[in-house]
Amino acid sequence: MKKWTWIICFAAMTLGLTACGGKKENVSVDIPKLAEELLTTVSSDQLTETASDMLPSIYFYEPDDVASAVAYASSGTTACEIAVIQSKDAKNTEAIEKLLQTRVDNQSALYASYNESEVSRLDDAIIESAGVYTVLCVCDDTDKAEEILDGYGF
Amino acid sequence: MGSQKRRRRRKQDRLVLNLLIIVTLVLVVFEGKLVYTMFSHHSSMSEAHATSTAGTTVTSNGSVSESEAKQKPTTALLSESYDTVFGETTLAGLPDKFTTASAPAEKNDTLPTVSDPDSPAIVPKSETSVDDSYFSDAVFIGDSRMEGFRNASGITQGQFFTSVGMSLSSMRSDPIISTSEGNITVAAALSGGLYNKIYIMLGTNDLGEYDWNSFRDGFISTMERFQEIQPTAIIYVCSVIYVDESKASSTQYVNNANVDKVNSILLDICAEKGYYYLDLNEFLSNGYGALIDGASSDGVHLYAKYCQQMLDYLKSHYIEVEASDGEGESEHVTGAETEAAADDENSDTENSGEEEV
Repeated sequence: MKKWTWIICFAAMTLGLTACGGKKENVSVDIPKLAEELLTTVSSDQLTETASDMLPSIYFYEPDDVASAVAYASSGTTACEIAVIQSKDAKNTEAIEKLLQTRVDNQSALYASYNESEVSRLDDAIIESAGVYTVLCVCDDTDKAEEILDGYGF
Repeated sequence: MGSQKRRRRRKQDRLVLNLLIIVTLVLVVFEGKLVYTMFSHHSSMSEAHATSTAGTTVTSNGSVSESEAKQKPTTALLSESYDTVFGETTLAGLPDKFTTASAPAEKNDTLPTVSDPDSPAIVPKSETSVDDSYFSDAVFIGDSRMEGFRNASGITQGQFFTSVGMSLSSMRSDPIISTSEGNITVAAALSGGLYNKIYIMLGTNDLGEYDWNSFRDGFISTMERFQEIQPTAIIYVCSVIYVDESKASSTQYVNNANVDKVNSILLDICAEKGYYYLDLNEFLSNGYGALIDGASSDGVHLYAKYCQQMLDYLKSHYIEVEASDGEGESEHVTGAETEAAADDENSDTENSGEEEV
């Protein structure tokens, strides 16, 4: 009886922690849908979908490394932006994350002398990866953005 | 002895019970969060759907099709923001009064948007528009308004060297162009490629510059520097777009009198130096020397609709670079001139045909 209790305890704990911990590596994300959902976290600006041909020069990635990407950007009013990038290989996501961080750092440096209130928004930028997907979200409601990303396995 | 065993067993049972409680707590906390996330994710999806659906129904003339709403997912958001400001229903992201009633009824009464309407530097409208491939060898340099144009116009080709807050001074010397290696100067960025067309949009952040002679000299020397870097490129200078003073009043110098002043300087420079002037206020003026009502949330940066109109404007106002004349020189003619020449050629052919008859 005692033995079984211990086994049940161990199994429950293992299962519980496995279910709750870490990121999913084999997630499948509907990129446009996720980007559209993240749009709801931006209330101070109207973002517009930027032509995908423009994205490699904005986010500095090599087009050959990326399978698909969707981004929404401001027409200049705020620093808000949302980008969801699907790499061809999960090995590239770390590099994409770094590039997105560079983008945020560059923007922060530029906004510091232009519109300082946007810098704090950039400080709270969310950059997360799951599997082959990487997300950048500069928004108003970061808690909501995190919730949305949790729901997608980020 | 027996009571000791019982005590030990009870102690062990209590330990197991405590462990079970801990495991249960861990599961409740973590799994509860997971379940909560699942439910909130589902509800936010529903909200997003409801928001986009709402955008299809709140219009002046009934409803907009669902497919239209899907194509323009941000329309609903814009509608919300406008509703907050104006408390009105919207169509395609703009209050009805802005889409219909803001333009002056009598165009003849409107103010000119350029200081010299007959200036040869002004690029006229061509009958036929080019497509995006025209911009494949173009570089766009400018401030946040140009950046907004890149983000929201739908343009698919061309290199952009833009920066929020770009002024003449920062364009000349500051590291303001974002790259994967950090920020670099415009000149350094421009040196990294070969371009045949340079589009400049600058001046909004220089509206407080009252030493206009200094602005003029600085602008000329900067363009000359760019021309050195890209000797075969033609230079388009975009006019400074009007502002909505009621919304952009946080800084007094951001006003349309200053916009007109800067634009007259830019037009003079273009005429003098052989650059091409693009009068964007031709379609962005309300007719009275100000930005169209409702074109911008902050009075400066344009909504997507107007960025798209700007792209259409650039596609219909362009210069054709003719093939080299054999001595290493090329000739530039406007699209409108090419069409006029083609018309002349056709009429000559017709005339000669008549003569032959």
